[in-house]
Amino acid sequence: MRTRIKELRARYDLTQEDLAKKVGVRRETILFLEKGKYNPSLKLAHDIAKALKTTIDELFIFEDD
Amino acid sequence: MKDKIKIAAGIGVVVAVVVTLILYMIAIDGQDPSAYLLIIIPVIIVLSASYMIWDRIRNMRAGLPQKDERLKKVEYKAAYYGFIAAIWSAVGSNLLSEIIYDEELRGGLVAASVVMVSGLVFIIAYLVLMMKGDVE
Repeated sequence: MRTRIKELRARYDLTQEDLAKKVGVRRETILFLEKGKYNPSLKLAHDIAKALKTTIDELFIFEDD
Repeated sequence: MKDKIKIAAGIGVVVAVVVTLILYMIAIDGQDPSAYLLIIIPVIIVLSASYMIWDRIRNMRAGLPQKDERLKKVEYKAAYYGFIAAIWSAVGSNLLSEIIYDEELRGGLVAASVVMVSGLVFIIAYLVLMMKGDVE
């Protein structure tokens, strides 16, 4: 899984900590999400998409093996 | 407020364990150097617990939650490993004692080994999963 969190975060000039505060998670969670190492719950994916003014589909990219 | 109470309780437990360890070391007072080996596991647990408390305080001060969904999953998984370790250590400690010393362990020592081994496994699993990112 790839995410566009880092790209969109930079577009809105948000740090990892800013985004973490907006969605109510720890900074490391945002870090692991950006690296594609953590699969978020649907609620967290929705909250991040909302905070970055996008949709879940555009934020998380699932690559077929 | 609830978060602060939890942190205060955690600090209280760590202080109580440290005081107990200090009293234990004063009591053995060089009589049996091998007795110092027994405190290695509690020391590892105390140091790791102190790190966990410090990490939570740092997040709270930064206005971030102490615990989020990822950390909850980490806790559940580490607790599962700790539980499995507790079951196996209850059986294994007695078995090892019979093999090595040819005698059964007293109930108190079995309980102590269960607490130590499961605590150590929980702490190590927690720290590894916390740093690894992927909880699945």
